[in-house]
Formats: sequence, C-alpha cells, structure tokens
Amino acid sequence: MPTLPQLIEDDIREINNALYGLLLKSEAGTGLVIDKGGFVITRVGDVDSFDLTTLAALCAASYAATESLASLVGETTFSSVYQQGDRHSLLVLNVDRFCLLALVFKASISVGAVKYFAVDAARQIARHMEAAQQRSPDQGFDLSELNLADASEVFRKRTA
Amino acid sequence: MAIINQASKELQVKIVYYGPAMGGKTTNLVKVHDHVQTAQGNKGKLVSLATSSDRTLFFDFLPIEAVAIKGFKTKFQLYTVPGQVIYNTTRQLVLRGVDGIVFVADSQYEKMEENVKSFQNLEENLRALNLNLADIPYVLQYNKRDLPNAAPMEYLEFLLNNRDVQVPSFSASASRCEGVFETLNMITRLLLHKFINESQRKVA
Repeated sequence: MPTLPQLIEDDIREINNALYGLLLKSEAGTGLVIDKGGFVITRVGDVDSFDLTTLAALCAASYAATESLASLVGETTFSSVYQQGDRHSLLVLNVDRFCLLALVFKASISVGAVKYFAVDAARQIARHMEAAQQRSPDQGFDLSELNLADASEVFRKRTA
Repeated sequence: MAIINQASKELQVKIVYYGPAMGGKTTNLVKVHDHVQTAQGNKGKLVSLATSSDRTLFFDFLPIEAVAIKGFKTKFQLYTVPGQVIYNTTRQLVLRGVDGIVFVADSQYEKMEENVKSFQNLEENLRALNLNLADIPYVLQYNKRDLPNAAPMEYLEFLLNNRDVQVPSFSASASRCEGVFETLNMITRLLLHKFINESQRKVA
C-alpha cells in the first residue's frame, strides 16, 4: 500500500495555488485533493456549501469501485469518474498512486472544459507530491504534543 | 494510512469495523453516532450506503472528532464493511488505507463458523493489499452477549484470539450501546500508541 509523503506548508501552498488556478480557468466552484483512503488533504473554493469530509470519503470509494468495475470488463487504464447532476456535477481524477483530485462545478459548465484544465492541474499536483516524496522519504512524524494520558477515554458516551 | 498535518496540528485516522453479516457493525456506528459526547459540530453525518432492507451495500461512514486529545485535532473516520460473502471486492476497497480494525464477532453459537471465516477473509484481504494483520492495531468485540444462545467468552477467545499475541477483546451488546465505547476507545488508544512509537523510532 503506497503511503502519502510528508507534506509541509510549502507543499500545501503550492497545491492550493494549482487548485486556485484550476478553479479560475475552469469556473469550477470547489476543488479538493484527497487521499485514496478517503481523507481530505486540502480544499479550496466554496468549502462551506458541501460536507467535504463525507464527499471526500465517497469520492475515494466511488473512484475505487469504478476502477474495479473497469478492470472487470478488461479496461487497463482508468483515470476519472464523472457524475452529471442537475445543479452540480462532480469530476474525480487520478493524480498519482496516493491521491485524487475532486471538483464540484455547476451543471451548466461543460465537463470537457473542466477536464481539459483539470488534467494539467493533476499533473502539477503530482509533481509536487513527487518532490515531497523525494525530499524526505523517511520523514518521521512529531507527535510529542499528543497526550496519551488523556487518550484512554477519547470518546465519551453522553450521559442522559 | 493516517494523515498527519503538522501545519494545522491535525491527525486523521481510518478505523474499519469488520466481521460477519448481521453481526452488529452498523449498529456500533449508529450507537456511536447517537450517544457520543462531542463539542457542537464535531460529529459528522452517518452515511449508510445500504440496500432497501438496511443491509450494508458498500459501507457506513461516520466522521467524528475526538474531544480529549491535547495538541492535535484528531479526526476519526469510522467505516463498516458489508458482511455478506458476495461483497468481498467491496470489503477490499473499504480496507484501503486502514489504520485500525475492530472485528465484530457474533456471539451466537450458530455463527461461529461465519466468525472464523470472516476473520480469515480479513487476513486474506489485507494480504491482497500488501498488509499484514500483525502490523495493524486491532481489537475484538464479542457482540450480542445479551442473547440466550451466546457462546461463552472463553470459547470465542479460543476461536478468534488464540494467537502468539492476544489482542484486547470486549463483550458487547451493541443494540443496548454496551461495550461500544469501550471498544472504540481501546482501538483509538492502540492507534495513538502505534503512531507515537513509530514517530519515536523514526526520530531515533
């Protein structure tokens, strides 16, 4: 299972810039980069109108399921999933081994145009991910601030 | 795998509830969703991709933020898998990027074979993803203890927790919300210990 590289603030800034550029050119409303396990890595644009945590989880699941379907019917290349809506449409593109690019855009906007710009942005994001991977392949995480003494009851049952 | 964002001090973790069909995986998530004490806005919506008869088709998903961890905003994503045998490919998909597993066994005597097969299936599916159960924190939950035909705990332990390293196990009656939070807190604890140990090992 591939692992996401350690990303620092500069990486996120670069990825966000790529996303902002994409939203500007394509007129899409919301752009997210998500981990293939379903986590949000970063998001830009209109981030308040949709439940992006759930959207990311479902995008990752939908992409993985459709990829499996494509494989079942003999497809060897697979790179995107498109959901056409009445109000908003959704495009999910492969970025690299680790992550996906998801875009929410008004249904009136042509998916062809969105995809045209999104492919470029996905390549740009993949280059940043690759650079992050090469910069620190064995980067450790600093979890020293985590207080394990408090972790025995992380989730508390609400009392009536 | 978990995502740790140093910039925003945020930790995201994926926990999958695995086990035989009708064992109570979805009930666990429903009870966590109904009873968890969170600050306003920290509990996400429970998403169920289920059939018309409420059987899990793809997964259930509950994003939830922990209340008690200092320093890091910790977001947990709880998933269930469909238990029925025909959905094996779906189970593999949900297991992608898993950090911790709760195996929900059905305590009823007649479900023992299904429990064992489901556990074997978990190991097979992890292997297909180049993962090893021994490397992933997991706990066992023996659910449906309230039913009259529940097998003794020792029997379940013998069947499912009879390995070189025994893992924590809990008796539960998920429909009554008994044992649900104990199980969740233990897998959380194991996960956090693992992350810290890995962190220290890499630094050393």
